[in-house]
Amino acid sequence: MNTALKNIRRSPYQALAAVSMTGLTVFVVTIFALVSLASQITLQSFETKPQVIAYLKDNHKTDQVGQLIKDLDSTGLVKSATYVSKQEALEIYKKSVGNDPLLLGSVTDLGIITADVLPASVEITAKSPDNFSTIVSILERSEIVSTTPKGKKEIDFPQDIVAELTAWTRAIRTAGIILIAILCFNSIITIMIIISMKIASRRLEIGTMKLLGAKGGFIIKPYLFESILYGAVGGIIGWLGSYIAILYSTPFLAVRLAGIILLPVQFPLMLALLAALIIFFSLLGLISGLLAAARFIKR
Amino acid sequence: MIIFDQVSKVYPTGNTVLENVSFHIEPGEFVILTGPSGAGKTTIGRLLIRDLTPSGGDIKVGDWTLGKIKSGEISQLRRHVGVVFQDYKIIPDKTVFENISLALEIVDYPEKQIDERVKHLLELVGIPEKGELFPIQLSGGELQRAAIARAIVSEPKVLFADEPTGNLDEATGRDIYQLLRAIHSLGTTVIMSTHNQSFLDPGNRHIHLEKGKIISDTASSSKHHKESKHKK
Repeated sequence: MNTALKNIRRSPYQALAAVSMTGLTVFVVTIFALVSLASQITLQSFETKPQVIAYLKDNHKTDQVGQLIKDLDSTGLVKSATYVSKQEALEIYKKSVGNDPLLLGSVTDLGIITADVLPASVEITAKSPDNFSTIVSILERSEIVSTTPKGKKEIDFPQDIVAELTAWTRAIRTAGIILIAILCFNSIITIMIIISMKIASRRLEIGTMKLLGAKGGFIIKPYLFESILYGAVGGIIGWLGSYIAILYSTPFLAVRLAGIILLPVQFPLMLALLAALIIFFSLLGLISGLLAAARFIKR
Repeated sequence: MIIFDQVSKVYPTGNTVLENVSFHIEPGEFVILTGPSGAGKTTIGRLLIRDLTPSGGDIKVGDWTLGKIKSGEISQLRRHVGVVFQDYKIIPDKTVFENISLALEIVDYPEKQIDERVKHLLELVGIPEKGELFPIQLSGGELQRAAIARAIVSEPKVLFADEPTGNLDEATGRDIYQLLRAIHSLGTTVIMSTHNQSFLDPGNRHIHLEKGKIISDTASSSKHHKESKHKK
């Protein structure tokens, strides 16, 4: 360990290059991990809300609604299908607008909104956004689903939003994985080159040690410690940078993600992330050191 | 015991440095290898620690037959044979103390005893106050003593000293020679290569090399002398 620290002190700029490269990688890994987590939570939030709402004709009968729900359940594509009566629709409406007299109609010429004004509906949550088309086709065939004056069935489903969100989440994840893989590769190469250079510059010393009976493990141990240190210190610096960036952007994000993600990010989560990053990047450093040492041992 | 049996060494350039060299060295002997530059003295040392492989013949050091030694055992062999290199090979950015303790760290010497052992060795070789200095701060003779201390600190059975007096004035050279004699008196087999004829004490075995061949070996002649006496 002392030899490794001495090696770092002797060539601070090489150490800086290794640590900054690893730090940058960790910064990107942390940000992408959190963005990925946030987008997953956002997507789940959308998915848990009713995704398809079919408005019913006023003259529908209870057994007809029961049959429709049965038909939907039998497909196996539906997580839940719930009947919302006119009265329940009014409660939901009141809850969503609060005590706003304007929206409740008390100060408009429409008069106070009552349950009669609102249609009953069937609210469906699909197991996957991919199942929307099948569910919608069943609803379109149903006689109790109301029709617009233009002859179109009154069915709401935010297919575009969820599909877009799913696509974005996947794209972010894919881009993140590719970027992280490239940066990890660069970190490995950077540490490997630096350690190789150090081994090469101390070839005479290493040769003497071999002549004195040193085994390969004894000779490369300080270099492996050094590469692990680069990984671990880079991990801490990158984590610190990303945590500062997250804290800085929290006021901006908190407003936009209210109700979906709880901000600021919990410190225990960040600590767990730090531990994971230190372990992962220490291993990455070890791999880099071993690759450099393997080249030396082969000689 | 060290056995060189018909050992030859030809470098890839085609330069033959040893040709059918044979000798036995018994444990506890003090052997002086002499010969002009290029006679093959250093090559013998390098062959002894398997830094070079012979082109022909075989070498035995203790229980190891160097032609058949496994690569994992070479480090063990090198711990068994201490070498004082002609160019010292003292690591420049380590202090004298660190250079000597390195040899102990290599053999996994108990960490707590390293300090005491190194100090003892510095005393033995006569530079007790130089431990914290860097090699560049030492004179030639002191450097040679440090190199000897490093070579014997892990108590090897055999010590090969390659031209240990070559770069020194006569008085310092004589001191180093006396130091090697003292190490020999502790039970170590010592092989010292030199081109300085003044170290040819009658009590020492003397092998003389020229152009890669043994020209004379006082042990074989005395053995031959003993054998002829016995026949008579």
